[in-house]
Amino acid sequence: MKVFVVSILFYTILFSQSKKIDQCFQCHMEIGSIQAEQFVNDVHKSKGLSCSSCHGGDNTSDDDAIAMSAKKGFIGKPKPDKISEICANCHSNPSKMKKFGSSVTTGQMENLNKSVHGKASTVANTSIAQCTTCHNAHGIVKVNNPKSPVYPTNIPQTCGKCHSNVVYMQKYNPSLPVDQIEKYRTSKHGMLNKAGNKKAAACADCHGSHNIFSAKDVRSSVYPTNIPTTCSKCHSNKEYMKEFKIPTDQFEKYKESVHGIALLKKNDISAPACNDCHGNHAATPPGISSISKVCGTCHALNAELFASSPHKKAFEKNNYPECETCHNNHNIAVTRDELLGVGKTSICSKCHSQNQQFKGYTAALEMRKLIDDLTEKHKIATSKIFEAEQKGMEVEEIKFRERDINSSILEARTVIHSFDVSKFKEVIKKGEIASDEVISDAKSKIDEFYIRRIGLVAAILFSTLLMILIYLYLKRIEKEKNI
Amino acid sequence: MKKLFNNIYSWIDERVQISDLVKFMSKKYVPIHSHSIWYYFGGVSLFFFIIQVVTGILLTFYYKGSSEQAYESIKFIMSKVEFGWLIRSIHAWSANLFIFTIFIHMFSVFFERTYRKPRELTWVTGVLLFFLSLSFGFSGYLLPWNELAYFATKVGTDIVGVVPIIGEPLKLLLRGSEDVTGATLSRFFAFHVMLLPLIFSLILFIHLLLVQIQGMSEPVEEKVKGNMPFFPNFFLRDLILWLLVLNILAVLAVFFPSELGLKANPLAPAPAGIKPEWYFMFMFQSLKFLPSKILFIDGELLGILLFGSAGVLWLLVPFWDRKTARGQKNRLINYIGIFAIIFIIVMTILGWVL
Repeated sequence: MKVFVVSILFYTILFSQSKKIDQCFQCHMEIGSIQAEQFVNDVHKSKGLSCSSCHGGDNTSDDDAIAMSAKKGFIGKPKPDKISEICANCHSNPSKMKKFGSSVTTGQMENLNKSVHGKASTVANTSIAQCTTCHNAHGIVKVNNPKSPVYPTNIPQTCGKCHSNVVYMQKYNPSLPVDQIEKYRTSKHGMLNKAGNKKAAACADCHGSHNIFSAKDVRSSVYPTNIPTTCSKCHSNKEYMKEFKIPTDQFEKYKESVHGIALLKKNDISAPACNDCHGNHAATPPGISSISKVCGTCHALNAELFASSPHKKAFEKNNYPECETCHNNHNIAVTRDELLGVGKTSICSKCHSQNQQFKGYTAALEMRKLIDDLTEKHKIATSKIFEAEQKGMEVEEIKFRERDINSSILEARTVIHSFDVSKFKEVIKKGEIASDEVISDAKSKIDEFYIRRIGLVAAILFSTLLMILIYLYLKRIEKEKNI
Repeated sequence: MKKLFNNIYSWIDERVQISDLVKFMSKKYVPIHSHSIWYYFGGVSLFFFIIQVVTGILLTFYYKGSSEQAYESIKFIMSKVEFGWLIRSIHAWSANLFIFTIFIHMFSVFFERTYRKPRELTWVTGVLLFFLSLSFGFSGYLLPWNELAYFATKVGTDIVGVVPIIGEPLKLLLRGSEDVTGATLSRFFAFHVMLLPLIFSLILFIHLLLVQIQGMSEPVEEKVKGNMPFFPNFFLRDLILWLLVLNILAVLAVFFPSELGLKANPLAPAPAGIKPEWYFMFMFQSLKFLPSKILFIDGELLGILLFGSAGVLWLLVPFWDRKTARGQKNRLINYIGIFAIIFIIVMTILGWVL
């Protein structure tokens, strides 16, 4: 009897244990499957999931025919368009995820489908990237595990698998460069990342992870108007940036700058964002010697004029950054004529005074006077045009000429960068000629207005006189004929 | 001087025998009575027409009738051509005064019953001239190719399209394309400077010829105090009035010069408050007041048919007013005339106020 009870207990335990054995995993390990070996450390295995959770079939049966039978829902290697769906079965289901004790968000699939990677691929009716493209298939580990392909320091290689592959990228976006990783490695971010600093921005920090859009898409975190905010996520975070020992006020300054106002308030996407000066994948602060080259990519003429100016040598000698010395960097204000000259608001007086650098002092004084005079003439011209227009005169053509004055003022503000008084005078002269013509033409129109009235009075007087004469003649003949 | 004049007169008379015409004219008399003032409005209308012809010809020296150049050419006329601004302004103001005096002339003739036998044809030609004057106004309005003109023409031609059967083909004929385009401008220019002047001059000639042949009509109810020779007495009075309206015209043209506005942009949305010229306003406003459906008929269509019928009845007044033809008093004519004037004035005011 005792032997019988022990036997029953033994078989009951054996039977219940045999049910818990993952037959798929066991067999595939036995036959030396790489996938099974990879699955050993998979986060899903640790949560109790088996091969059959994704591949279907019966993992309790050690009989191949039963375990991998279609009746048991075995699908084998999932078709590419099914992979993400299989993942989404759990990862898009908050209650299932909760059951596994996971706090991972559940919107990845939805985001992926909307993203640029969710678009149809060239090979079949599948999206460009599946979950496994970035996370692997059988050896998936948590994101914060350094072995994960999406661990911050591994992200560049993961993205680079496709994005650095010329042949692969040609199929989807031939115009998209494939040197991002190469450039990235030369950037501060890339260097820190390579050194193992997981705080340094990697691809996903700027582009997003599942919700990546084309940089031309307004929803993208790297669309021009979104770039400053994207960069500021880290660069304006004092706590986060503490260890890097760099300022964190760039965004605050930029927001109020002429560039920031144009881009963020006026939505002018031609205005520079952070990446236009610092580079994007190769982001790095421009050195003193290269600032004018960076600014010169847009302000070409100013940079060229500066390069040939006497200031070029003087700035080099004193190790002054070229554009930044007068205009600042992130907080570049709208330039005003007050910056020129020797007054309290002028920049020139920072270096030039009556006692020091006197030549520059007189040049600044003269140039300021010239541009002030032209601005004043422009004001007179505008008011004369307005006066003529108010009197109902046709002034379209004069208005057209008036644009030349404005052009000259704008040109003069550029030519200032040559710091050459004679060149400056030439431009001012063009504006003065245009001003004189406009003022004279507008005055003629105003005169014409009064001449019209005088002409009208004369015409009315003449015709009234004629009326009186006719009336008198009429009276005379009617009196004679007694009508 | 007198001898020279006589010699010239004799020279011409020997060749074209104008002495008969002069004799005829010298025997032309104008009746004197308390309503004689209305006789002058025909002459004033004619004076405005002459001004329109002269200034119109001057404008065509520079005007270019294409959608690419029309607006620019008017701008050129106004800014570069010597007195161009004055010519254009006079042309625009004179057009308005022309239609205004025609209104007065036509209603005075109506109330005086001057259309009665034997002057039925004079009335018919006069009303036709009135319709043609409105056509002149409508076609000329588009020529500057500005925003207001463009959309007003669009609305105006759309209304034509509502007329059953002939509406759509007529709209297409006027526009020269599905929409108001450069083709419409070319057409309107041709209508304005070729077709309409030709027809107008022909009918005006008949109208004036009839007036000369039949002489001035005497009113039915007014007592005629005497007669005044047309030459020189009435003619000189006409001349004084012409000089007076010329002064008014000059003041209007100088103090309120015609504006050009913005160039027409067919792709731009229609500006707010598009209104037709004042002489179309009463019809435009009446159509706006009509509900979209009256019984089973489209409101706008009914309005157009009513105005069309009223126009035909107006044209044919001498033929249905049998009482006046028989020499009897017809008060209905007064009521119709007063109603028409009040209706036009009220609707025009409402059109501007609302």
